[in-house]
Amino acid sequence: MLNKLLSKLIKNSAGKTRFLMALVGMSIAIFLILSAVQLQVNYYQLLHAKDNQDSIANFLVVNKIMTDQNIGSSSLSEEQIKDIQAQPFVESVGNLIPSRFKAAIQSNSQRFPFYTDIAFESVPSEFLDVTPKDWSWNEQSNYLPIIVPNQFLDIYNFQFSISQNLPQLTPTVVKMLVFKVTIQTAAGPLSMNGRVVGLSNRISSMLVPETFMEWANKRFANGPESNASSRVVIRTKDPGNPLLVKYLKENGLTTDADKTRFSKYRQVVDFVVNISGTTGVLLLAFALLIFTLFIQLTIASCKDEIALLVLMGSSPKQLKRFLMLRFFPPNIWIALIGLILISVTQYWLCHFLAAKQIFLSPIISGYTLLAAISILIVIAIVNTQSIGKWLKQKN
Amino acid sequence: MEISLQSLIPAPLKDRPQHAQSQIWRNNCMFHQGEWIKIQAPSGTGKTSFQHILYGIRHDYEGTVLYNHQNLKDFDEDALSKLRQEQLSVIFQDLKLFGNLTALENIELKRLLSPGYRSAESIQEMAILLGIDGILHQPAAICSYGEQQRIAIIRALMQPFEWLIMDEPFSHLDNANIQKAAALISSECKSRGAGLIITDLEADNHFNYQRVLYL
Repeated sequence: MLNKLLSKLIKNSAGKTRFLMALVGMSIAIFLILSAVQLQVNYYQLLHAKDNQDSIANFLVVNKIMTDQNIGSSSLSEEQIKDIQAQPFVESVGNLIPSRFKAAIQSNSQRFPFYTDIAFESVPSEFLDVTPKDWSWNEQSNYLPIIVPNQFLDIYNFQFSISQNLPQLTPTVVKMLVFKVTIQTAAGPLSMNGRVVGLSNRISSMLVPETFMEWANKRFANGPESNASSRVVIRTKDPGNPLLVKYLKENGLTTDADKTRFSKYRQVVDFVVNISGTTGVLLLAFALLIFTLFIQLTIASCKDEIALLVLMGSSPKQLKRFLMLRFFPPNIWIALIGLILISVTQYWLCHFLAAKQIFLSPIISGYTLLAAISILIVIAIVNTQSIGKWLKQKN
Repeated sequence: MEISLQSLIPAPLKDRPQHAQSQIWRNNCMFHQGEWIKIQAPSGTGKTSFQHILYGIRHDYEGTVLYNHQNLKDFDEDALSKLRQEQLSVIFQDLKLFGNLTALENIELKRLLSPGYRSAESIQEMAILLGIDGILHQPAAICSYGEQQRIAIIRALMQPFEWLIMDEPFSHLDNANIQKAAALISSECKSRGAGLIITDLEADNHFNYQRVLYL
């Protein structure tokens, strides 16, 4: 009732059109900012959600780019490895140690004959994507366990076996085969049994246990003794991190490009988020400015009425509350409508992408809600301050 | 609430010698709780300034005004509005009505600023008593000055107060209306145990004054 009388006295004499335009600006600003937040949250969700995550993607095998200049010195120095380890986007680093001796594998069976020269690599077990129970070796072991890249089996099954008229092999059959591993030593060939114990998607190498590699390199190495890594495998939270890609590029390193493909997407997402966010914030600033001017105009044009109200005993608090009630509620509506629009878009997006096997949350994130509340708080603070300031000047 | 004035003089009157006779300017005086005081003041003696100083509108004066030993100049805006809502009510010489509000809205506004103190019906009763019930829905700006004076009187009675300060409140009323208005004000002041200070040009018997002072 009091407010009804007050609104008769304090009119929006600065014009309804201007007020409406300020509100439209505010709506666009709030919508842009909230979209930017939701987009960013969606992207992170896609990147980190279990449903979408590709376990291979978090492990990258990194090596030097081979150029004419570094032929013969392709291994990574300890300093380089330490530097990689020190990067914020790297969680841990595992050295891939190459074999420094000549070796060959050969079939024991006449029915299924094969022979090939071969080289091995070893890597700390925590960087493996398979953990076979037989993955250990010591000098008393009956056979040498080997992990083979899945790609090898694919090449064999879909190309080699067809061209040579050999039987195709399932992973189970491959793991049952026992073959002969022969190492060339100074004292002549040394043979032992070997067996495939697992198939890896992560590292494209014939892998043997580290204990074997250490033992064999020490005894049979052809060249001078060295523990240098040919390559390293790094574990990272986000292989799409543009910083990671930049670091590799700057240091003449390379990795499986496919795994860092997210980097390009992410740059696009970052760009869109930045543009949308910046535009939103700028618009918000302008809208706030217009609001402030609007408040100033309203108070200035009702200066006599306000002075008289104060004479009648209205407290500045009452007047502030009244003016806030006049100017603030439209912002709540705007924020609510913005949230509803984004919720609808998110729901639609969730269903649209689900059909493409990309899973997003159907509801908007807490961060978006938090952003809306923060914007409202900022508007409230700016409004209260400008009302307080102009009221004081009129008294 | 006691009002104490110490060596009070408005800045514009400072250098005028005729105020040497004044019982208020440059004097120390005390208005006790519930006292009814008439201040008789010829034109130009600072009657309106006196009211405005007491009400905290004018600050260009020397000396001090104390409300219960508290210096009026130390009141911040919240304290001042509390004083005006609960302890001091006022009828201005120029009335200070909102011209674009109706008579009723002018009074109602004051009533709502002290919520729960008077009922909406009391406005009607007082309006009937003072003979302005017929113009309650007219914009105040088009009411006659006499009607506006009665609106201002009813408005001043819509709040609790310990002091009612009036500046020529009956200047445009005939005797019959003055009597009705004075009777209403008297009974309202008595029921509150409130004091009143009325400033006017001439001597009068509108109220049972306990003191008459010359400005």
